[in-house]
Amino acid sequence: MNIVVAMKQIPDLQQIRIRNRQPVFDDVPLTIGDIDKNALEAAVNLKEGTDANIIVLSAGNEDVEDTIKEALAAGADEAFLILDDDLEDAESSQIATILAAGLKKMDDVSLILFGEGSGDNYSGQVGSRVAELMDLPQVGYVSTIEVNGNVAKVTRSLEDVEEVIEVELPAVISVMAGINEPRIPSVTQILKAGKKPKEVLELDDIEIDLGAATIETNSNLAPESDRKKIVVKSVDELVEKLTAENLIGR
Amino acid sequence: MNFSFTKEQELIQRMAKEYAEKNIDPVAQQIDIENQIPAEIIEGLGELDLFGIPFSDEYGGAGSGYATYVLAMEQIAAASSGVGMIISAHTLGLGAIDAFGNEEQKKKYMPKSCKGEHIVSFAFTEPGTGSDPKQITSTARKEGDYYILNGTKRFITNAGYPGPIVFFAKEEESGRVTGFIVEKFCEGYSISEPWEKLGMHGGPLLDVYLKDVKVPAENILGAIGQGYPILQYAISYGKVGVSSAALGGALAAFNEAVKYAKEKTHRDQPIAKFQSTKLNIATIAEKYEAIRWLTYRLGYLADNVKDPVQFAKDAALTKDFVCEQIVDICKLAVSVHGSYGLMKDYKVERLWRDAIMGLQIEGVSDMQKMIVAGVILGM
Ligand SMILES: Cc1cc2nc3c(=O)[nH]c(=O)nc-3n(C[C@H](O)[C@H](O)[C@H](O)COP(=O)(O)OP(=O)(O)OC[C@H]3O[C@@H](n4cnc5c(N)ncnc54)[C@H](O)[C@@H]3O)c2cc1C
Repeated sequence: MNIVVAMKQIPDLQQIRIRNRQPVFDDVPLTIGDIDKNALEAAVNLKEGTDANIIVLSAGNEDVEDTIKEALAAGADEAFLILDDDLEDAESSQIATILAAGLKKMDDVSLILFGEGSGDNYSGQVGSRVAELMDLPQVGYVSTIEVNGNVAKVTRSLEDVEEVIEVELPAVISVMAGINEPRIPSVTQILKAGKKPKEVLELDDIEIDLGAATIETNSNLAPESDRKKIVVKSVDELVEKLTAENLIGR
Repeated sequence: MNFSFTKEQELIQRMAKEYAEKNIDPVAQQIDIENQIPAEIIEGLGELDLFGIPFSDEYGGAGSGYATYVLAMEQIAAASSGVGMIISAHTLGLGAIDAFGNEEQKKKYMPKSCKGEHIVSFAFTEPGTGSDPKQITSTARKEGDYYILNGTKRFITNAGYPGPIVFFAKEEESGRVTGFIVEKFCEGYSISEPWEKLGMHGGPLLDVYLKDVKVPAENILGAIGQGYPILQYAISYGKVGVSSAALGGALAAFNEAVKYAKEKTHRDQPIAKFQSTKLNIATIAEKYEAIRWLTYRLGYLADNVKDPVQFAKDAALTKDFVCEQIVDICKLAVSVHGSYGLMKDYKVERLWRDAIMGLQIEGVSDMQKMIVAGVILGM
């Protein structure tokens, strides 16, 4: 049984500087989005005590081959990569098409895990789009997963309620950040990551034509935050002001 | 020339940072107050292989070299220099066993030590001598196939943790300094209460007493009379640890100064707008970058030693310069904070106390300069 985890390469958000409200990406190391790491951790937990195999699936530019070592160190058994420098700024629909094409080349896939949103754009579309393209059931906003034979029992956390859902496998599941705390890989696991099996394909190998982009980014600006400079003289007053600002007691 | 890291090194650095931020930072002040590292932290560091980074996987190490060790140490020590001190002294002792131990000794003592189940000590300082280890007075008397060890060692890091201690004593027959591997807490081994020191709290510093400790002759490290060269060689590697731990303190002070400069306001503007603050921050940055690359280079040199004498010089000058600069860096970081920087509520107060310690460890500043000048001038 293969558990596939889709993971996206992003710049290390902690190291991005903002200059004139624009993010500066020069020299920023690449990493994998936080919620994607939760998805991988969920796979590692599901694998425990079974003979499941975890495949990390990623599409992006050539750097992904190096970046993906992070996932291989954190518990993925192998990597399946679709790499092309054109994919650097590809939009969600294009990435979903590519990931679905990659998935179709794999056998015995029972579960496809996504983070609920990527660490950079957080559009949260790719999981649903892949499910649609593959004609598979999908559950989003998942906070617990339990697999029994051919069925996964999952908790879907909505704003006001939690639903417990049973879904037949294979299925696509998008997890929430709170589902677990990803483990920190050891030095030895990091050093072994590069030696794990890796399949690297190009766009031609999956016979996909990206087509023209349909989304144009007009601007990408950091929000401006201004201090309100409200001085309080007591805790009661602080609570009152914060409540008035709708920051607590919602 | 290439100043970049491998992906693996970058990941190990990030892993150490993440571990330190999640598990050490939140209790760093408590460690400072109680002078005690929680056992879970030692266990956690062991699980991440941080007690055996430079050593071969054949003996349980991670096999990643000193260059990687520097990167991880910097991040761990940035959270707590007490924790940095434990790893540094442990790696020094383990490095001596790795470099001079025979196959049986390495198989016996290294695997558990690389996993952090055993924490190694390295003991040369005595009440009567530190800078001049040739004056060691501890004794080793031969009795059949055994040696009987006696003596007092002062300021021994990690002496209260179980594991091997590399103990230097004068072998009575030859009258020469010889290294022995002794298991801590064996019969005749006892320790003092921990010293109450200025900084690096949590890093345990104790006196060790050996009273008629009987060790088999096979526990000699290297050969009889080789103690002094072993000590010099091992301490050169030890200085990689001391330098990287100090570098971690410098990084923490740098970060604290920048954070405070942006947060603290005067006349409705952050103090970062004042030229005096800017000058302090710039000077901190200059000094930090200088010691950072010097220390990273020392890690690289430790993995590529061609001439041990040149390496001893590079280790001495790096350790001395880094430990001097971090005191300046912390002082500047305190200046950025004003009087708040002298208060226990602010991290720089602790960082400054920790920083001052480095100058005396593994050879005082003057002795480092003597080594450097001795190699350069040949006299
Ligand atoms: C945090 C910490 C951890 C330590 N961990 C260990 C450990 O794990 N194992 C261990 O064995 N030791 C350890 N030490 C001890 C440390 O290595 C010694 O204190 C250090 O080598 C200095 O020795 P000393 O204190 O006896 O100073 P001294 O040797 O008395 O030196 C005092 C001063 O005298 C001068 N001086 C002395 N001798 C000479 C000389 N020959 N030539 C020129 N000048 C000289 C120097 O200027 C020096 O500053 C540790 C110390 C600290 C603070």
